[in-house]
Amino acid sequence: MTRHLLLPQGSSKRAGFSRRSLLGLLGAAPAALALQSAFPGRASAAEPVSGGALNVFSWPNYFSNDSLAEYARKSGVTPNITSYDSNETLFAKLNSPAGADFDLVIPSSSWIKQLADRGLLQEIDHSRLNFGSLDPSLLNRDYDPGNKYSIPKDWGVLGVVYDPEAVGGEIKTWQDFLDAGAKPGVSGKVRLSDSGWETIGMSLWTHGKDWNKATEAEIRAAGEEIKAFAKHVKTFGGLDPNQLANGAIVLAQTNQGTARAAIALNPKLKFVVPGPMSELWVDNYAIPAKAPNLDQVYDFLAYQLEPAVQISETQYIGFPAALAGLRDKLPSDTKDVDLIFGGKDLDFDKLTSFVVDPATVGVYLEVQTEIQAAAGG
Amino acid sequence: MTSANKTGQTPSKRAPSARVSDHLFAAIPTIWLALFFLAPLGFTVVYSFGNSLFGAVELGFTLKNYQTALSGFYLTTFLRTVQFAVTASALCLVVAFPVAYFIARKAGRFRTLALVLILIPYFSSFLVRVMSWQILLARGGVVEVILNFLHLHDGPLDLLDTKTAVFIGMVYAYLPIAIVPLFVVLDRIPGPLLEASRDLGASRFQTFWAVTLPLARPGIATAVLLTAVPMLGEMVIPKLLGGSRGVLMGQAISSQYLQSQNYALGSAMAVLVLIAVAVVVAALARLTKGFAEVSA
Repeated sequence: MTRHLLLPQGSSKRAGFSRRSLLGLLGAAPAALALQSAFPGRASAAEPVSGGALNVFSWPNYFSNDSLAEYARKSGVTPNITSYDSNETLFAKLNSPAGADFDLVIPSSSWIKQLADRGLLQEIDHSRLNFGSLDPSLLNRDYDPGNKYSIPKDWGVLGVVYDPEAVGGEIKTWQDFLDAGAKPGVSGKVRLSDSGWETIGMSLWTHGKDWNKATEAEIRAAGEEIKAFAKHVKTFGGLDPNQLANGAIVLAQTNQGTARAAIALNPKLKFVVPGPMSELWVDNYAIPAKAPNLDQVYDFLAYQLEPAVQISETQYIGFPAALAGLRDKLPSDTKDVDLIFGGKDLDFDKLTSFVVDPATVGVYLEVQTEIQAAAGG
Repeated sequence: MTSANKTGQTPSKRAPSARVSDHLFAAIPTIWLALFFLAPLGFTVVYSFGNSLFGAVELGFTLKNYQTALSGFYLTTFLRTVQFAVTASALCLVVAFPVAYFIARKAGRFRTLALVLILIPYFSSFLVRVMSWQILLARGGVVEVILNFLHLHDGPLDLLDTKTAVFIGMVYAYLPIAIVPLFVVLDRIPGPLLEASRDLGASRFQTFWAVTLPLARPGIATAVLLTAVPMLGEMVIPKLLGGSRGVLMGQAISSQYLQSQNYALGSAMAVLVLIAVAVVVAALARLTKGFAEVSA
């Protein structure tokens, strides 16, 4: 494995740099190699393929190089990976003739329903894969009941990283976040997400609303609250952990991966997933409706779901894979292991996944654009 | 007769064959442009009059998209973008002119070296060049250290993610494009003209104002054109250096296309930007026309 940058450049996948640049956060390459040898004799799918093609369309750098090499050696199939940088790009491509060759794609939870509703994905044959090894709290969620179209690959949460000293207290709710951001000394050093549903979501959750059921009027009303807050915001761009380490930003919406990188640079910082609700995003394996190489896809998926590969993937991309009990299976010298899983007491019941609805997604986006404009600059 | 025929045939035989190859060479870029430039542009115009479905457009004729694009928030964004491009382009010009003047008229044998130095950054990626400003402008960065050392600033400098940072990035990124056309015109102004102006009693400033500047007009027009037009669609620099605050047109269009999957509105907005570009080009073409008279 090549040695990757330890620090991510951004927090949101729409920020130009993806959360997938968090490579190698968990530790160095040798650990991954050691792990692979620690799990000899992996049980593999019933009838392993030998050779053939497999075209994967994925986020950049989203598969462990070691695992891929191992798989190529074992199966004779070298996955051909091309990448996209947003779910929207994935959607546009699958929705066009250019998407006909793909066997495997990695959409986020927010887009599974759209892709499935438009007939762009095929149902997954559960009999060909072992779902039993996966974390039950990541299965059967709102965005894809029964996991008809998706298999969780890895996940993250929307939380807040902050400097308790600068903010002058603890942050427990999104209301705390908004109050703290308005304080002198904090105002102007705040980072908000560039995703409309993540910024407006803060206000919707505070008022007890469900972001997947909010009406246009409710979204706009919540947006007004965030618009009024926008003057305190310094950036909606990708979050560089150094900005948190050097105090240019003291309060930021971000995922646990960027937070972990920032805390590694400045241990004073804290990460919290505020209440009453926050976001869980899950990136998923899914099979396009017209995937030409189904045998290879299922063989590859079976391999990807093996525990050793899941651990190696977690180490490579820096976000937790979907393996049940993954936390206890990570090497004991892994730093800040709680943070990888969104903090010690993360309550999955208080997490909700956004589902893109054509009727409202445009409103979220429009209001976000207005929020960013209201921030001036 | 025979000889007349012969002499008559030879050129007429050659001429068509020459014309065919000429046409062929002209046809290749024409077909290329028609396929990859005009056709998508046509789609954009057609889409802009259609009804948007999520990720698709129902063709038809409605002015609804233009109404939206020319009202409220989108109009503000459009005007802000034009103002932004004009300001950044003017800043670029102000910085580029003295540099071009120096290289063209004062640098002597170092002019080639100076031009090469200005163009060298183009060997690296645009993204890398802009991103390096993130490091320079960040807290504790080189700019902060230098300003503190010179006592021009005291303490941490929060330039990154501000409008100033965006303008710094803009001027930096587009400066070479402005310098080159200015250099070309300034270099071509005949020395005797300036001497004549002096001989007739004009001061250095008067010479500059009455001779150099008017003769440099086409260069100025080209420099403005080459900087202002791409600036109208610029989205990378505001994102990387401005913290994505204060949305500009490029970003607004891209998010209509991608996130909102509203191709119709995105298209209408794109057509409006094209019209703005056409106006800029037309205005500058007029400015350049004046030069043809001067030089003729």
